[in-house]
Amino acid sequence: MIATLLLAATTALAGPWRGALDLAGGTLKFGIELEGAGASLRGRLCNGNVCDAFSAVTVRGDSVLLELADYAASIAAIRRGDSLVGMYRNVGSKGPRSIPFRAAPGRWPRAEAPAWLAGQWDAQFEGGFGTSPRVLVFDKGPGGLQGTVIGNTGDYSHFAGEVVRDSVALYRFDGSFVYMLTARLVGDTLRGTFHAGLRAQTPFTAIRSTGKPHLTPPTEVTKADSAPFTFAFPDLDGRMVRSDDPRFRGKVLLVDIFGTWCPTCHEAAPVLTELYRTRKTRGLEMVGLAYEVSGDPAVDGALVRRYRDKFGIPFPLLLAGVSDVDAAAATLPQLQGFTAFPTTLFIGRDGRVRKVHAGFYGPATGAQHTALVQEFRRTLDALLAEPAP
Amino acid sequence: MSLLSAGRATILGLLLLVAAPIGARAQQAPAELSRAREEYARWLATAPTSPYAAQALLPVGTGISLGAGDADVVLPGIARSTISEKNGALALERGETRTPLVRGRLASLGGPYRVLATGLPGRTTVTVFGAPREAKPPTYFPYAADAALKVTLTPPAAPRLVPLLGPDGTELRAAEAGTVSASWRGQPFKLTVRRLPGATEDESELQVFFRDRTSARGSYDGGRFVELLPQPDGTYLLDFNRARSPFCAYSSVFPCPAPWPGNTLDAEVAAGEKYERKLPTAPGT
Repeated sequence: MIATLLLAATTALAGPWRGALDLAGGTLKFGIELEGAGASLRGRLCNGNVCDAFSAVTVRGDSVLLELADYAASIAAIRRGDSLVGMYRNVGSKGPRSIPFRAAPGRWPRAEAPAWLAGQWDAQFEGGFGTSPRVLVFDKGPGGLQGTVIGNTGDYSHFAGEVVRDSVALYRFDGSFVYMLTARLVGDTLRGTFHAGLRAQTPFTAIRSTGKPHLTPPTEVTKADSAPFTFAFPDLDGRMVRSDDPRFRGKVLLVDIFGTWCPTCHEAAPVLTELYRTRKTRGLEMVGLAYEVSGDPAVDGALVRRYRDKFGIPFPLLLAGVSDVDAAAATLPQLQGFTAFPTTLFIGRDGRVRKVHAGFYGPATGAQHTALVQEFRRTLDALLAEPAP
Repeated sequence: MSLLSAGRATILGLLLLVAAPIGARAQQAPAELSRAREEYARWLATAPTSPYAAQALLPVGTGISLGAGDADVVLPGIARSTISEKNGALALERGETRTPLVRGRLASLGGPYRVLATGLPGRTTVTVFGAPREAKPPTYFPYAADAALKVTLTPPAAPRLVPLLGPDGTELRAAEAGTVSASWRGQPFKLTVRRLPGATEDESELQVFFRDRTSARGSYDGGRFVELLPQPDGTYLLDFNRARSPFCAYSSVFPCPAPWPGNTLDAEVAAGEKYERKLPTAPGT
């Protein structure tokens, strides 16, 4: 009896479904194709006629679970009348992401690419700061209107869409990416919005491509300053310590940029202390630059003193500034793009920065911690082996 | 119903649900917030991209190797592969096989290991994930109805991009989005808001990274992130009950974002995520 009911439920699910994700700025449309029955029920997620298989389709009573294991994503829905209602969930990189989902039996109507739209358009996406170029491509595919969005780092994969009079919408949902482009032709300009995820909306305008290159090469990696590294900050007793002090001259120098407020810095401190103790006689010096919270030398000094005592740090710790990026960047103008605590600088006997390492893997990371410590040792040993200038 | 307006009724319902805490006086967390917290705890415990599953985070630079032996990222029992970047395009190479690596999309390295590429072209960061380690569920201050504030975003005088670390420790260029002004239990404050790109540069969020008197005294020392949620009337919801610690509070795989200048409230915002302090205690506390 139960088996019969289950079979009836899954049989009714087989067939095409009009899927929809309700984003803040409108509805993203895609297709779902289910076939088979019972334990052999399987399905595909489609953008136009381009489909990818769900890794698993599970039905329990009124509940349906469509899984995309590659992206650790799923659609969990329950049956309401002849429809499915539920949530799409994706793990995200900063937390769980969920977007309302619904589906009704049938297929979205096939749309063609009208002459006014087909072809390539040069778009400017309006970001929070200035604009960034994209190329929009619309054409006629075997499944109807299709297209893509091309940025400086590649394309956003296959989109399918529809056109109503002077408006166009392109959709891309594959379990990982949630993209929708909506636009209207105003004069000879496409004006619209690019939707990403539940809430992000980026306005854009586009004109027909002239044939000239529209996209620009990606940013080159920022080059580190090649001048000798200089600093001058007070130690915990108020005495100025400078990079040209005799104790640093001709030595290999490791600079630890840290804050007592930073847990990852705490994980680094014992390792740096061990490196210092075992290499000091070979010409290694170290200095810690503390970026603290209050900016009050009395308060910050007490915190750094406690930090020094907790880890038995034998090298000087200097009060370099307050713990925000602008202040740190202003006090260390030779570092470009400084953002992370801790950051470790490896400076050769010639006083020049030879390597910058942002972050630190603590012991809980196991093999990564071991590898990082070995890398720090190798780097220091190589620098120590160089002759003094 | 027009092509672009379908589903608005559902959206309105959603937004009303999000807006519900505004003005509420009950000290019981709204069901939506409780659900979000449960989901976050589950995500931390089980998601392949949970900070507790992270093994390594490093820039691609001139190329990185992953696998057994002396690889840059040591993955026991996994065949050697490399990740490289050329003209902003990423590739994962294993033996003779070379496949494109798409930003913002998890890719398998074999076994329990996965990799996620984020960040700027030319400065791409890769996070490697393995089997989740034991996850400690986050703890929260008691729900404070008056910590859900309706705010207006004032655009910046001079828009600019600033380099910073996101909550997940990856480097990004955030756009200054302006400031919000409000008051917390009679104490006026003004906070800088920035638009932080997500794993893909198009999925940006309005975020505030702030410190307050609970920082290092009950909440994470370096500050907490809270998202600004858009409301139907053009205002935003700034709900400190939703404040979260950055990932370096959970795992040393992640470097710690530096506090944002000026974003320190001279008040005790006892709402949102708590943090069990492991660091030296500040003098006088």
